[in-house]
Amino acid sequence: MATATHDLLDDTFGVTRAIKPSSFTQPFWAATREKKLIIQYCRATGKYQHYPRPTSIFTGRKTDIEWREVSGRGEIFSWTVVRRAAAAFRGHEPYVVASVTLDVGVNVIANLVNCSLDEVCIGMKVVPYWLPIDDGMHLLMFEPER
Amino acid sequence: MSLRDSAIVAFAETKVMEKSDRDVWELDAEVLDALLERSGFEKAEIDGLVMAGFGLTAAGESFWAQVTADQLGLELDYCDQVHIGGCSATGSVARAAAAIDAGLCTTVLLLFADTGVAENNRGDRSFRREWTDPYGVFGPPDAFGLLTRRYEHQYGLDYEMLGKLAVTQRAHAVLNENACEKLRRPITIDDYLNSRMIADPIRLLDCVMRCDAASGLLMTSRRRAREKGIDKFVTPIGYGERTNFQGGENFVDVTRSGHEVCGKRALAQAGLALKDVASFHPYDDFIIAIMLQLEAFGFCGRGQGVQFIREMNFAFDGDLPLNTGGGQISAGQAACCSHNLIEAVRQLMGEGGARQVRNTANALVSGIGWINYSRNWGTSSALVLAPNA
Repeated sequence: MATATHDLLDDTFGVTRAIKPSSFTQPFWAATREKKLIIQYCRATGKYQHYPRPTSIFTGRKTDIEWREVSGRGEIFSWTVVRRAAAAFRGHEPYVVASVTLDVGVNVIANLVNCSLDEVCIGMKVVPYWLPIDDGMHLLMFEPER
Repeated sequence: MSLRDSAIVAFAETKVMEKSDRDVWELDAEVLDALLERSGFEKAEIDGLVMAGFGLTAAGESFWAQVTADQLGLELDYCDQVHIGGCSATGSVARAAAAIDAGLCTTVLLLFADTGVAENNRGDRSFRREWTDPYGVFGPPDAFGLLTRRYEHQYGLDYEMLGKLAVTQRAHAVLNENACEKLRRPITIDDYLNSRMIADPIRLLDCVMRCDAASGLLMTSRRRAREKGIDKFVTPIGYGERTNFQGGENFVDVTRSGHEVCGKRALAQAGLALKDVASFHPYDDFIIAIMLQLEAFGFCGRGQGVQFIREMNFAFDGDLPLNTGGGQISAGQAACCSHNLIEAVRQLMGEGGARQVRNTANALVSGIGWINYSRNWGTSSALVLAPNA
């Protein structure tokens, strides 16, 4: 079996991403212009939710939701190495997709960059890395906290 | 609802193909023909149609059940399409039984046909466009890579035991003439362990291969079956379904699933304990999904799947026969993911041939439908079947 630990990971920065925000996710993407991470917060239950929804997943009441800026610090919940990618990412394998638990208690799926396979492990502390994309927006990624 | 008032009087399936050279409606017609031939019913007696919604060919057409009814010349009092992903086949049985029980119709054609390899018309409009596509998440293999790594972190994982499941299923596919021919060669645990990584720690031999095929069932009321003089049929005796397990929570244990809920419900309705389950036909898109279901149904405790697999013989003639047709992973993922359901019906009708199970008192079939964000899967289903019950 091939050992994966010494593979050189791709950061996928070379992939063109086109994001089309929806009517209710637009605030999230607008905030990324200033590299700010905002997450939906339910006032009725005091809990955060991600990915952004059109209503509170806790109460079903749209008016319970507000956006709050968070630090984006978190730790790796799980991770995988993509070795066979969808068309847009072909040729960039291998790269890491991680699920990161933010310190506000939600999981975010994103690429892990500036990191070697030897380092990555569940529980590793990470911080946001913002990749510039179309239209002045940024895509949230994560890198190890150094 | 009384599931037990309905009877599956015939099953049919085409061979699983890597890519169909025939149109999906031609496969539908082949299934209909076989069901009429086997059951002795006339086409005019069919007054209900339930189609599984997990059809990639069908995905481009909003009126799929109706256009198919028209292609086949069916005049119907009940026409439906069930959209719960890989739970659609088991879900179709429950919905057909409910329609029969409610008096909406008497005799239902259940069709599970798809030629998604030859003609994939699917579009995606889900969280993926904004929240995972930009990260190159390929879909199911990557989601199961995340899930498997997390499971290993929480409980430890012996990949040889996942390999044991893969080997057992493959041996069953070798005995199944309808399995995809490409997959009908035995494998070893080493083959499994050495197969190339797709999304660490998901290997090639963990993954299902999309194929083309069709299958179907003919269901009617128990009374109608008796009137027709049919003495060999299969009855659904328990069903449970859960969509969006823990969907109102923001952070969940991804190793748990809705099978914890719907499995108990189906078995209670059937009046069975787990030790009574004669054969198990769990949905298999990835090998680890089988182990997660062994835990969620309660065959073993949470985190004890590896130990349970080590102790058990899952061969068709073993302690707990499992996916005796090869499962989707070794027969090919086709026919709207109905393979494991059709195999269970076949076994209970005593038509298992070289892989016939000894104990045909019942069979437990499950479904897994769709992959959601940071969870396990979208829908879980459990269906208990019994012969002439």
